[in-house]
Amino acid sequence: MLQSEKRSLVRFLFIYLSSTLLLFLLATFIFYDFQKQNIIHNQNSQLNQEALRISESLRQLSSTFSAPLVYPKTELFSSAIYNLDKSYIFGSFQPNSVLWEKEYYQIDNTLFYIQELYPYYLGVSYIVVSKEINQEPIDDLFNISLLFLCIAGIFFTILGIFLGKLFIAPMKESIEKMNRFIEDTTHEFNTPISTILTNIELIDTFYESEAKTELKRIEVASKNLSRLYEDLSFLKLNHDYHRKVISLNISELLKERIEYFKTLIEVKELKLIKNIEQNIYLTIDKNDAIRLIDNLLSNAIKYNKKEGSLTIRLNNKQLSVTDTGIGIKKEDIKLIHTRFKRVNKSEGGFGIGLDIVGQVVKCYQFKFDINSIYTQHTEVIITW
Amino acid sequence: MVKTFFLISILFATLTATPSKVLEKNCINCHITQKIPSELLYRRYLQKYSTHTRIQNKIFEYLKAPNKKNSIMPKQFFLKFPEKKALDLNETLLKESIKDYLEHFDIKKQLILHQVLE
Repeated sequence: MLQSEKRSLVRFLFIYLSSTLLLFLLATFIFYDFQKQNIIHNQNSQLNQEALRISESLRQLSSTFSAPLVYPKTELFSSAIYNLDKSYIFGSFQPNSVLWEKEYYQIDNTLFYIQELYPYYLGVSYIVVSKEINQEPIDDLFNISLLFLCIAGIFFTILGIFLGKLFIAPMKESIEKMNRFIEDTTHEFNTPISTILTNIELIDTFYESEAKTELKRIEVASKNLSRLYEDLSFLKLNHDYHRKVISLNISELLKERIEYFKTLIEVKELKLIKNIEQNIYLTIDKNDAIRLIDNLLSNAIKYNKKEGSLTIRLNNKQLSVTDTGIGIKKEDIKLIHTRFKRVNKSEGGFGIGLDIVGQVVKCYQFKFDINSIYTQHTEVIITW
Repeated sequence: MVKTFFLISILFATLTATPSKVLEKNCINCHITQKIPSELLYRRYLQKYSTHTRIQNKIFEYLKAPNKKNSIMPKQFFLKFPEKKALDLNETLLKESIKDYLEHFDIKKQLILHQVLE
């Protein structure tokens, strides 16, 4: 799966799952709270029934004159009786405080119920009944709600992945088609480009040609085509590409690549300023280093003015390539890394050069900066 | 065992408690002679007024000027028992007697939890 596909899928899943789960979480919470209130209401009803039972017992005790009077106590409930002044008379417990303004209330894990009584049998005006909440049905309800949430979460995640893949299928198909086309096209390019370049070199070495300028133009065009082929191949094969990371003499490689671009520099009559420190070593795959340097040089030549200057600096910290070309607008600098982005379409190319540079830089955790003044110059700095 | 003995002792002491001399002289003796149910009166007062403070005031009012209208007992009661005459006691003594009466029959002393008997 391509990075962009992954990103789209992750974004879609994040929005879809977070909104769905939030909705389910809310619904589950409302359901849980409602059911919990029902359970507590049922337990309150039990308190009410106990209070009725006590009041009936008090009525009977009121007409009993043979002491002692046995207080109607049960194991499940605690109760206490109070007179009209809310003074404690008797009970199986004595609460620290009673919230007289409420009929039903809860303190911590205990439910309370206050029943008023009239006539005041045995002087009792209020019966306070309490009971610890039976946590078992509430725990069961919580577990069921949690299970429901988990099942819904799993179901909607699977559904989300399926839907996400369904949505990105056309995009994936288009990318695959494009990749196949690039692969086929580049493959067909390779042999003729190599043939042209080899034969130009042969003609230049063994024959004295009168059409030197024309041959140079053919060489430049062929090298541009070759460069394009390399870049496209890299983009296509980047995911499966096996890197052989070594300690590479980047100074030597840079000189080689400048030599390779010599014809292009000459054709554009650029003034080449080299400030290359000797024997700078960098831990990098050779092909990646070539791609990095070639793209920087190619861009600096391509977008330079005729008879402009090309400055190449290399030290043990950074490589910088500066041209005196068209420059880049401030607002375009942020977009320049994007693949197929060409802020200036006056020159040829697909806009993949800086994307490749960006990929190589990211792969080796280098730093990539562009300093540019529009219409004056552009400096690209790679720091490691 | 010790606990049960302790609780039974308290219960016995409560049940066999004797009224104070003042109460006995001014109230109980007469009630016994005339077979007027003192505890029934107390329960009726409790049922209507709930607290000892309220009952005390009501009994005091009644004893100062007893008649059928301000009596706690129903009219039929007076068919069997004679109507009470005003007591010739000073207010302090009367109040003390009422207090002793309420104390003597206090419901709190009669109530026990079920476990005590087990």
